[in-house]
Amino acid sequence: MLDSAMAALASLADPSLLLMLLIGVVAGLVMGLIPGLGGTGAVAILLPITFGMEPPQALALLIGALAVVHTSDTVSAVLLGAPGSASASVTMLDGYSMARKGQAARALTLAFLSSMAGGIIGAIGLTLAIPLARPLVLSFASPELFMLTVLGVALAAVLSRGNIIKGISAGLLGLVLGMVGTSPTTAEERFTFGSLFLGDGLSLVAVALGIFGLAEIASRASQRRGQKENITLGGGWGKGIKEWLTHWSQVIRGALIGIWAGVLPGVGATAGTWLAYGQAVATAKDKRKFGKGDPRGIVGPESANNSVEAGDLIPTLLFGIPGGVPSAMLLGMLLTYGIQPGPSIITEHLDLMYLIVWSFAIASILGALFCFLSVKQLAKLTKVPFAVLAAGLVAVMLLGSFQEGGQLGDLWVMIILGVFGWLLKSTGFPRAPFLIGFVLAIPLERYYFLTDSLYNGLDWMARPGVLVFLAILVLPMIWAFIKSIRARRNTNLDDGHRDERPEDDESPLKNSTWSLAAAGIFAAAFAAALIASQSFSPEARLVPQLVSIGGLVFSGILLFIEIRTRLRARTAGAGWTLDAGFAMKTFLWMTAFLALTAGFGYLVAVTVFIPAFLLIVARARLKVAIIYTVALYVVLLALPSLLPIDLPQGWLNTLI
Amino acid sequence: MTVLVAYAPAPEGREALTQGIAEAVLRKSDLLIVNVGRGHHGLEPQEMKDIESQLQAAGRGLTVESSVLSDPGDAVIQIAQDRDVDMIVVGLRHRSMVGKLILGSTVQRILLDATCPVLAVRADRLN
Repeated sequence: MLDSAMAALASLADPSLLLMLLIGVVAGLVMGLIPGLGGTGAVAILLPITFGMEPPQALALLIGALAVVHTSDTVSAVLLGAPGSASASVTMLDGYSMARKGQAARALTLAFLSSMAGGIIGAIGLTLAIPLARPLVLSFASPELFMLTVLGVALAAVLSRGNIIKGISAGLLGLVLGMVGTSPTTAEERFTFGSLFLGDGLSLVAVALGIFGLAEIASRASQRRGQKENITLGGGWGKGIKEWLTHWSQVIRGALIGIWAGVLPGVGATAGTWLAYGQAVATAKDKRKFGKGDPRGIVGPESANNSVEAGDLIPTLLFGIPGGVPSAMLLGMLLTYGIQPGPSIITEHLDLMYLIVWSFAIASILGALFCFLSVKQLAKLTKVPFAVLAAGLVAVMLLGSFQEGGQLGDLWVMIILGVFGWLLKSTGFPRAPFLIGFVLAIPLERYYFLTDSLYNGLDWMARPGVLVFLAILVLPMIWAFIKSIRARRNTNLDDGHRDERPEDDESPLKNSTWSLAAAGIFAAAFAAALIASQSFSPEARLVPQLVSIGGLVFSGILLFIEIRTRLRARTAGAGWTLDAGFAMKTFLWMTAFLALTAGFGYLVAVTVFIPAFLLIVARARLKVAIIYTVALYVVLLALPSLLPIDLPQGWLNTLI
Repeated sequence: MTVLVAYAPAPEGREALTQGIAEAVLRKSDLLIVNVGRGHHGLEPQEMKDIESQLQAAGRGLTVESSVLSDPGDAVIQIAQDRDVDMIVVGLRHRSMVGKLILGSTVQRILLDATCPVLAVRADRLN
């Protein structure tokens, strides 16, 4: 085991791997600065670039980015009070207060060092998990693996923030969407409606970028103005380092909480960071300064949000169930390379596991180093208004999702799912179970049929491993049920420590016509899937039918609740709000861009869309728009010769 | 001089408020209310006025404060430390050992972590 660990380290001396790691780190740092992208956006945007690469290079690039996204997202949170990702909003509480007192350098030093340490401790956790889990993982057969996939979706649905019924509905719909394409058992086409394009299934990048990326852009594109405030960094970098050393126990505690939050599916960086903040406050004797610039409020959470990403990788690589959204995409990537996480990665690809560990640790150090060196430039970057960034992001995301299959259909899917993702986000549906369900749909079905063919009847249910997983599956549900009963009876006033983040305005369209519509869409989609599955052969029908019946039950409950609250509510909920209108307009812009691409090719579409979006939506100056467009055009022109990337050709190009 | 009341919309919370007002009048202290209920259910404006008039008779005032901390126990203690209050008043309810072990107890944490005297009251007294 030590041998393969050392061999993996030695392989990182390969210049091509090291270069990929460096590119990944720089890309991850930049994406950490852009609000709303986070680890999910970083992996989704970089994933298409890796399609032509060997697995080690691809992993070095993606892990490099994933490890440092949460290092740089602190910069804007501290300097501007506008967090680069949801998890950095915790750091904002104390970091921004420090910055306003002229101690920005102190806050950033604490944050960068903690991020680095969190990443390294996370990597150590991942390393230790390999030998610990090895005998367990190797004892798994198909029944356990089947239970694990079920567990992956179920836990993500139950543990995600928000309503459990919404979580389960989202998870089940993700499963249905994942089943579009060729059935793994009978090789017949399902839910394709005779379309050749859908026969291969939906592209993972298109789904992820739609549900998370485009949805995020649409809900933020109304931010035209950049931050004007000027906050000076101040001095005291050296003092910050000394101070950080005195908080070493907080760093370790934060990192451990982060790893744990990462291991649990559906508990992502945001929840893990709040947990770390909660424990930092709870264990502090003097609580006066929390929220007003307490270093302990920065150190623990910052350490946690980096180690979450490492913790996410533990179940992903060892059990094949993603611990979070970024690792769900990583899992999808490994599957396309034919690397099956779980038992086979431990026996056949141990070198890749250690490569991931080393990449994560080295990237964490490099990320913190780069942040220290370039913090002044990074601070300037955070002042760019989001609407200006959005133009380029839309172009990049559409180009990215084109790479997997080289089909424009993927892009249409992406925009439709973008609208859906925005609806989910605005009405309080967790999106993580949806994507995890999408990734796990085919493995789930395959393991089920493998189990079914190897065991008589329900014999496999009696295997000890399966029973343990059943217990793990049921316990959180009982827990959630008890909590909801106590909440209803109002007997929970004295209950436990509330570490959850405070109620925020993440989902402004809850309890409105919008959420009613969302519940309706869910029910309709499940009903349609149930009807469409009638025509399949019995083997291909079983799982889709079970999933859609389950989905119908849960979305039916949702619909009932929504209708009841709509009838009871005296005042109408939020209708066509300003933000909703803006989001829809942004989607129209995206559609227009795609239509242009389909007609005249990508390059032409970019030269029209970018300046138009910048001038009309972002209200940028003409000079900015021209330079922006020219720069992007030149980069795009050069890109196909640098990277294995194809630019979408339009209908007109095919004529010439 | 300040007395802090951890108020929640429940019998215990009301009892804590009653005792807190009595204590503030007795000690000639200001009253500081921290809402610890879930959601944002604080006191009704009418109730606030009643309490204010009671305190004004003793020449004292009423403030309501909140904290950035999401855990009510931590919030109460932070505000108590920050305002240097003389006493915290909380309402107790009976909790089983198992319940406290699994779910935890906010009142217990306030009792153990507070850096000033705490007055704990129950809603169901004998008389």
